[in-house]
Amino acid sequence: QQQAVETASLVADSVVFASGTQELRASGNVEILQNGVRLRAQSISYNGATDTLVVTGPIYIIDKTDTLIVADFAQLSGDLRDGVLKSARVVYARQLQVAAAEIRRTEGRYTQFYKTIASSCHICESDPVPLWEIRSKRVVHDATERQIYFDEATLRVLGVPVFYTPYLRLPDPSVKRSNGFLFPELRSNGDLGVGLRTPYFFTLGDHADLTLTPWVTSKGARTLEARYRQKFAKGEIELNGAVTDDNVSNLDARSYLFADGTFALGRGFTGKFDVELVSDPGYLLLYGYSDKDILDSAISVDRARRDEYIGAELIHYKSLRDGDDNRTLPTLVGDATYIKRFSPSSLGGIATLTAQTHGHYRRADADPTSAGLSRDVVRISTSAEWRRDWLWSNGMMVAAEGAIFIDGYKIRQPRANPTLAFDDTVEVTPYAAIEWRWPMLRQGARANHLLEPVVQLVLSKNSVSGEVDNEDSLLVEFDEANIFEFSRAPGVDNRELGNRLNLGLTYTRESHSGWKLGLTVGRILRRDDLNQFSNSTGLTGSKSDWLVAAQLKVGESFDLINRAIFDDEFSFARNEMRMGWTTDTFQLASTFAWLEADVAEGRPTDTSELAFEGAYRVSRHWTLSSELRYDFVNDRTTEAGLGISYQNECAKMDLSVSRRFTTSTSVSPTTDLSLSVQLAGFGARGIGGGSFARQCNG
Amino acid sequence: CGFEPVYGTGGSAEGLRGSILVDEPTTQDSFNLVAQLEKRLGRAQAPVYGMSVTLKVEEKGLAISGSNDITRYNVLGIAVYVLRNLGSDEQVYKGTVNTFTAYSASAQPVATLAAKRDASERLMTALADKITTDLLINSGKF
Amino acid sequence: QGASVAFGGLKHDASQPVEITADELTVDQATGSAVFTGNVVAGQGEMRLSAGRVQVQYATENGQATGRIDQLVATGNVTLVNGAEAAEAEKAVYSVGGAQIVMTGNVILTQGINALSGEKLTVDLTSGSGRMEGRVRTIFQTGGNK
Repeated sequence: QQQAVETASLVADSVVFASGTQELRASGNVEILQNGVRLRAQSISYNGATDTLVVTGPIYIIDKTDTLIVADFAQLSGDLRDGVLKSARVVYARQLQVAAAEIRRTEGRYTQFYKTIASSCHICESDPVPLWEIRSKRVVHDATERQIYFDEATLRVLGVPVFYTPYLRLPDPSVKRSNGFLFPELRSNGDLGVGLRTPYFFTLGDHADLTLTPWVTSKGARTLEARYRQKFAKGEIELNGAVTDDNVSNLDARSYLFADGTFALGRGFTGKFDVELVSDPGYLLLYGYSDKDILDSAISVDRARRDEYIGAELIHYKSLRDGDDNRTLPTLVGDATYIKRFSPSSLGGIATLTAQTHGHYRRADADPTSAGLSRDVVRISTSAEWRRDWLWSNGMMVAAEGAIFIDGYKIRQPRANPTLAFDDTVEVTPYAAIEWRWPMLRQGARANHLLEPVVQLVLSKNSVSGEVDNEDSLLVEFDEANIFEFSRAPGVDNRELGNRLNLGLTYTRESHSGWKLGLTVGRILRRDDLNQFSNSTGLTGSKSDWLVAAQLKVGESFDLINRAIFDDEFSFARNEMRMGWTTDTFQLASTFAWLEADVAEGRPTDTSELAFEGAYRVSRHWTLSSELRYDFVNDRTTEAGLGISYQNECAKMDLSVSRRFTTSTSVSPTTDLSLSVQLAGFGARGIGGGSFARQCNG
Repeated sequence: CGFEPVYGTGGSAEGLRGSILVDEPTTQDSFNLVAQLEKRLGRAQAPVYGMSVTLKVEEKGLAISGSNDITRYNVLGIAVYVLRNLGSDEQVYKGTVNTFTAYSASAQPVATLAAKRDASERLMTALADKITTDLLINSGKF
Repeated sequence: QGASVAFGGLKHDASQPVEITADELTVDQATGSAVFTGNVVAGQGEMRLSAGRVQVQYATENGQATGRIDQLVATGNVTLVNGAEAAEAEKAVYSVGGAQIVMTGNVILTQGINALSGEKLTVDLTSGSGRMEGRVRTIFQTGGNK
């Protein structure tokens, strides 16, 4: 088979040639470059007749696939692809090293190593034993399949043999996707016992893959987990599921399926679906699949353009909470919305027209306690909003706003008791407002300051009709984003009425040294209290509670946000804080939430929870991490966890233990322990973190 | 005391209103963000600047009850915005703002769903307000 | 047959008579040397040595010039051609008696499509073997005979 004649270029200190023998002997810093393969050696002699190179070292060969070969002596083919190398070391993708007494390269594809040591750990003179190594009689690397095959391989950790296998196949570092086992994980759980999870990855063509993870625990729980992913031209889907046969529950088989997908439907529309099914309530939490307490399967279509939004969504709920009866909860909820924004030529400013239908359905048909347990609702809402801003030369901004909301309700199986019927009705809610704003800036030597006072007078109907059963506006929030909204109610059923004065002041300080402080203070003054909101929202009374929201940022590393609602006597209705602090040696994230008890919001007692998670890099390789969630009201820890991880350039080990203290009829407190070890150098998804690489000292 | 109206004559944001054309939204979140940005920065009449905004929204559950029900959610939002000169397409200013809104979750799905959607809308309003503030406080730079 | 990479093509019988043509010749009886200038071509059998200036040293026996050429010193873009092999350099010293050529200064030796370049080339004409030195660079053919 006539091989293509290729040209090689050679550079050396001196070249000797002899007549009639077609030999070329180059010596002194010899370098050969031939179609992407670069060879450096002390001397080579090339024989034109046999087209072979005899090379004496130290020899360095670097080829196109980022593979480096180091050897003392070699006899190679003219194109440098085949041949034998003595006492050589091959380094794949600057990571995985395979050393061998002899290496034989054939057909430009196979590299066979004899009496080999494979490892991706750095070896220092002072401490020549690598963290892990695989010794084997023979290793074959197939450059086309990009796989490495080990014969009679022994895995040694710190020189101690820990695992022997007659045959082992691993992907070389250039492989992104390949069939095969992923790294196993040891899991132990108070209820389930100890078990080893060994995931196996199937590549199904270029656009899909399947991961199957069998998991058997010491207490007899046998589980098969599966993840299937597929990408299409115009979309993608992912299915996660598991089936378990255990003796923890009386069911013979427990299972769950979470499937979701997104598709481009053409003309700018996006379709999404999300299916969530589970066989029994405690399964997800016990096996660590999800801590959701209500399942929502949904299908939705939407399109957003600059001035138009079209969206429709249908959701099916299934509550997993104790004591919830899915027949009397609205488990089927549907919405469709059309929004159009434009600038009316006559009036100027911005107009927004909205048309929306909403419906929710309860399977129950009887409502003995007249609590609306069988109520089915269909609502059609249309609204027109308009706003125009005027900017005066002194920088003052005055805006006029107007809006009218028309909500029509059609009720099926209303409450039996006529006085609480809340039957079909139409609500018309107009608003008019004048807003005055005067942002001021001071560009100081050390910092810039912005002060923005805002006053908004809102006029609206002054009496609540009481015809509408409030189902969608039970959970009301007061924050800096809705100080100047017409209605702070989240939904439609309880639009905020009455004339009021919304006051807001925002002060922002940005220092030139990277400190940023943002402070917003807000308050609502009402002509009369229509008692539309419960006290924990801070919106009750003719004078609302104070809203104070602050954010402190220091460069990219520190960010603290705190939002508090308190009355004149400083008794807090709400106080929430989120803090994140990262430096290159530690990360700390913390949240605090205080909410006053409020039966209307389904919160019989106060909520007071502090949570934090932190990681501290003790040394170059060791990192400690911990997390805690503490409930002050019940004076009890909800969750706590500790973790330790060791990482260097060739291995990553994570050991974590966490305990969840919550109990319910389907879940008891449990401790979860997990150990996972990953060896770097096989497959392209490295373990990252160059800064973890081991350094030889001295 | 050194403060002067930022939009006033001679103010560093004079003429800024109505001069920024925000890129076309693609999702419901970005639709709401663009609507609030147009409310605060004016609908672009003769735009000098273009603005692209990259949104990242994440929801975290907290306030876990004794029976492991999640009773509170925080919706976290990060917006990285880039102001560019429409003529030269050259970047003029880049800023990052972030904040969170919160909502309670109760046993009532309809109430929780409305609260969740309102929290996302408020998050976009809050991010748009913070972008506007960040622009005004740095208006001396462009 | 493998792609030949031999540069031994300069093998040559240095005892043949040398014939030199040039535009101008000046002779210096005292030193027994002659200087040819202008399109100088020195031919010996198949081999041709051309240069801008060639100075010929004649062998002397007990002080008398013997008419036999001992050494040619060629300068000024010297080219040496022998069959399929050619070499160029800035200077070449051909010691006819010793059957050796030493070419120096940007030496390029080509044989078919193979080429060898360096600073100094020493060729032993009887054996045809040669040594190129000084950051030698070569392009050569490989493969072709599997």
